[in-house]
Amino acid sequence: MTLPVSIIMIEDDEGHARLIERNIRRSGVNNEIISFKNGTDAMKHLFGADGSGLVQKGHALLILLDLNLPDMTGIDILKQIKENKYLKASPVVVLTTTDDSQEIKRCYELGCNVYITKPVNYENFANAIRQLGLFFSVIQVPPAAS
Amino acid sequence: MTADAQRRRAMLQTLLLSAGFLVLVAISAASVLLVNKAREDNAWVVHTVEAESQISNLLLEVRRAESATRAYLLSGAPQFLAEYQAAATTIVPALDKLTAFTSDNPVQVASAAKLRQAVEQRLSEFARGIERVKNNDVSTAVTVLRNGASTGAVETIGQAARDMRAEEDRLFRERTDTADRTQKLASSVTIAGSGMVLALAFGSVLLVRQSSRARDLAENRLRDANLNLEATVDERTADLREANDEIQRFAYIVSHDLRSPLVNIMGFTSELEELGGDIFRRIGGLTHEAAGGPPPAAGEIALEGPDQQLSVDFAEALGFIKSSIAKMDRLISAILNLTREGRREFQPEKIDTRAFVETIVSTLAHQAAEAQAEIHIEPLPNLVSDRLALEQIFSNLIDNGIKYLKNGVPGTIRIRGRTKLGYAIFEISDNGRGIDPRDHQRIFDLFRRAGTQDKPGQGIGLAHVRALVRRLGGTMSVSSELNTGSTFTITLPINWNASNRNADK
Repeated sequence: MTLPVSIIMIEDDEGHARLIERNIRRSGVNNEIISFKNGTDAMKHLFGADGSGLVQKGHALLILLDLNLPDMTGIDILKQIKENKYLKASPVVVLTTTDDSQEIKRCYELGCNVYITKPVNYENFANAIRQLGLFFSVIQVPPAAS
Repeated sequence: MTADAQRRRAMLQTLLLSAGFLVLVAISAASVLLVNKAREDNAWVVHTVEAESQISNLLLEVRRAESATRAYLLSGAPQFLAEYQAAATTIVPALDKLTAFTSDNPVQVASAAKLRQAVEQRLSEFARGIERVKNNDVSTAVTVLRNGASTGAVETIGQAARDMRAEEDRLFRERTDTADRTQKLASSVTIAGSGMVLALAFGSVLLVRQSSRARDLAENRLRDANLNLEATVDERTADLREANDEIQRFAYIVSHDLRSPLVNIMGFTSELEELGGDIFRRIGGLTHEAAGGPPPAAGEIALEGPDQQLSVDFAEALGFIKSSIAKMDRLISAILNLTREGRREFQPEKIDTRAFVETIVSTLAHQAAEAQAEIHIEPLPNLVSDRLALEQIFSNLIDNGIKYLKNGVPGTIRIRGRTKLGYAIFEISDNGRGIDPRDHQRIFDLFRRAGTQDKPGQGIGLAHVRALVRRLGGTMSVSSELNTGSTFTITLPINWNASNRNADK
């Protein structure tokens, strides 16, 4: 974990956030995790006050995104991230309870890198997160566009 | 136009017609009566005229007899004698006739009697005079005749005849008046009756026109209503579709949102389990250390007595929580799947039903062999319907048939089909354990099952099948007795298209 990658977690359910974080840590990933409980705060952080995304220039990010947020849908956030020139290279992992095939398809079409359904079966969940950890260690998070 | 008013009008119409008929009958009867009366009146008038002519006739004959007698007295010529005899013979019958003619009137009867007496007296005087002349006693004969005049017979005759004539004149006037009145009455009755009939006919025509106008109006309204009906049906269908969509969305959102907390409950229960393991391991280690024994090997939990019991209870409680969560998750997933099915759009296509069912049966062949069940497929009518929905319907029902056979009895499952009035009727019957009639409704409810609970299942299959059959515009029923097997009957339209059930989109 030599890359200074920050993990941005957008998840309204605190319990889910805690479980995700624990399992990430358990899989040996020690990167900084910044969590947001709603879309608005996350957008402010990602795109900055001017909404241009310039604030994230030079930062390597990995985004964990829940689709069901209280103030907006994760799909919208995904779309805007993938349309922004500073952010579009950042990998986005969609982590949600929905296993609707239409929605999964839509997310992949919009450019999400991984789609994980939060299973109620905890072993599966833990496994998924651990694989995600593995994934973190394998992927080359691109150096931020300079 | 209300039904009440229509009934009133029809009754009025009938009343008018019957009134018209009655008036006609009355006029006819009155006419017949009045004509008869007029004829009678006229007969009476004629009668009066005849009576008068009889009187004149009689007087004439009396005068003729008198003048013949006189001539005979003067001349003694025998032709006057003959004339006298001719006149005398007609007088008595004329007198009789007059008496008969006037017998209906007491006044005339009295006058006639008086007249008869006077005429007879006169006649006897004539006869006596003639007798004298025959004996050549002319002077006596003249005296007799003169005496006769002085006895007043002549005057009496004149008087009586005048009286009778006056009476007949009176009667004549009276009867003519009566006849006139009768005729006037007849004509006025006819006129009044005709007027009434005309009035009734006019009323009738008015009524008929009114009802035909009402009928036209009703026809127009009916046409409008028919036109509106289509629009109303469309409107209602749209409302229903909206309501259905709403329910689908609601079910989806609810079941979806229920899963979210479940992830936490399960996650932290697992965390607790791990924590529990750590805690009990630690207790074990500490107990061992306190007892002065060697530290236990890593990862091993060495507990004794009450501590071990605590650990077992802890694990048991967590086990119950986890199995309940798993069950709840399965139920929620089932609802989610059902609502997802409800949202799926059907694609009607032509299906060779028999080949299609054979394919389904072949995928179930393994289960069938295990249950020692034979599946017979009889000729089935082809349909245009949604393939995936049909597949779920048939595979669920056949699978149920295989699943709920009687233990130890080789199973026979039969799939039959026929068509009726644009519908295909399929029957899937088995010789399995059957369903108590009390449970026939219940088995179609979500999460409800019936009979011995020795097979895995959520109680979703039949609810799902029935929802699909309904969406395909069909109906479904079961007939079954305990221990004699069950028959599920599905009725589906042969030509399903999205438009006839698009309310379920």
